Amino acid sequence: METLKNIILSKTGIWLLLLVLAVVIPPMVGGYLTSMLILICIWTILCFSVNLIYGYTGQLSLGQAAFFGIGAYAFGLLTVKVGLGFWPAFFLAIVITGIFGFLIGIPALKLRGPYFILVTLGFSVIIGVVFVAWIELTGGANGLAGIPRPNPVPLPWGELSFESLLPMYYFILFFLIIIMLLFSRLVKSLIGKTFIAISYNENLTESLGINTMGRKIMSFTISAVIAGIAGVLYSSYNIVISPEIAYFAKGMDVVAYLIVGGAGTMAGPFIGTFILMALPEILQIVPSLNTLINGIILMLFLLFLPSGVSGGILSLKEKFSKKRIG
Amino acid sequence: MALLEISGLTKRFGGLSAVDDLNFSVKQGELLSIIGPNGAGKTTLFNLMTGFYKPTSGKIIFKEKDITRSKPHQVTRSGISRTFQMTSIYSQTTVLENLVIGQALHAKSGLCSSIIGFPSANRERKKIQDKAEEILSFVGLEDKRDKSAAGLTEEAQKRLSIGLALSTEPELLLLDEPTGGVNMEEISGLIDLVDKIRQLNITICLIEHKMRMVMSISDRIIVLSYGKNIAEGTPDAVANNEEVIKAYLGERCVF
Repeated sequence: METLKNIILSKTGIWLLLLVLAVVIPPMVGGYLTSMLILICIWTILCFSVNLIYGYTGQLSLGQAAFFGIGAYAFGLLTVKVGLGFWPAFFLAIVITGIFGFLIGIPALKLRGPYFILVTLGFSVIIGVVFVAWIELTGGANGLAGIPRPNPVPLPWGELSFESLLPMYYFILFFLIIIMLLFSRLVKSLIGKTFIAISYNENLTESLGINTMGRKIMSFTISAVIAGIAGVLYSSYNIVISPEIAYFAKGMDVVAYLIVGGAGTMAGPFIGTFILMALPEILQIVPSLNTLINGIILMLFLLFLPSGVSGGILSLKEKFSKKRIG
Repeated sequence: MALLEISGLTKRFGGLSAVDDLNFSVKQGELLSIIGPNGAGKTTLFNLMTGFYKPTSGKIIFKEKDITRSKPHQVTRSGISRTFQMTSIYSQTTVLENLVIGQALHAKSGLCSSIIGFPSANRERKKIQDKAEEILSFVGLEDKRDKSAAGLTEEAQKRLSIGLALSTEPELLLLDEPTGGVNMEEISGLIDLVDKIRQLNITICLIEHKMRMVMSISDRIIVLSYGKNIAEGTPDAVANNEEVIKAYLGERCVF
């Protein structure tokens, strides 16, 4: 009994409980809520990408929406215009996004602090403009349509098609879980520890024989790949994509999600995305007011709880355990 | 053959020469102290030696290899490591975790093998953990193992920063004021630690202001003033050098 209680109350227990809820709830709620949950999963993946480069490596990038857009458009163009199948296009699209991350990272990461932030912001604005202006390629403001869903999977009792919402939700949830598991292994590995060390003190890390520039480029490239995966999933789910998805304000929104949830924690992307995406829905807020409300919430968090919800819970826990000992 | 050879080293910041045509060498196994009044260019010299600054002119040869233009991490990997004047540790994490990060440069596992957790990566991890524990006890912080580094006393932080520098397995260790901000009673412990490091056959360059300590532990002393090498020799010779007295106390006045 005691061990069972321990498992339930442990971190793993909470994660397992959430997993069960994520699997069981969608079939019981309507299509609207399921589509909300799909979007929450996708933005959580994007939030993990910000978490790697900002939360764990300490380099605030406002440009992750651009990588999201590059992944989405690369996948869309490869399937619609080149005619590649789902999986080859998926793979190529995230490779392309990774190459963009690598090439942008080399000059941008030479800059520190606000200069790096400005370059990533500028990059995001440029990508957004390119998607609007390069009409022959991207379809401009009209967007790109006819992007395929994943291929149907033949199962013994019939074909599993991803045309309906529920299978698509599980498909995306599967990617979220895989990314989360690999992510947690990465940040606990020695390479991940050097990312964290850079966020703590870059000069000290360099003096300890770590090629900090190389590690920052590595982290930025991985974060671009994660953002690219989110973009591919989004374009496949939505079938149509338009330039707004790469709009720089989206990149800032995701940073807000992360800060509210808790940067540099595993739970941060989940908590932040859920709170800031679900809240406007629950309160039935006019969409145009969303940005304003996100801004106010972000400012309140930066002022009163800069470590975010999960950081706040951790420090509360510490306080209580100290009291018990003391 | 000298371990480290510095010739004509100059660093100018605008019109100011922080280090001015400096020539000296560090011999294998010795403890060389670099002293001089504030602003003499001692820390600038360390920053040049470790690649944090690029010199305006001059050469730094370490183990017969030119490291003048190397990046800091390359210098560290070639066998020079340093501590910082403003004690640099990872104060956001525990003492042991600091030393684990200090071992990270020895890790050879690639990205994929560390994420997937190949047996080789796990073995490496274990080895690094053991080495970190070894250094933890070498610098005498076993009882602070799981404490937050931020909560350490100034003296323990100095020990930890020296432990970090040792993690890289240097042949030449540069210590920038290892007793700065530490009270008198605790200094002897740090001197003992420096002695222990010397027994490992590690060559040491020391920047220090506490003269009694410098005089007692150095094999040789170099005196800098306005970026120039104004005296060099054994502690006794330097202590009685006219130029040195002038640099520290000013011109002798005769009324």
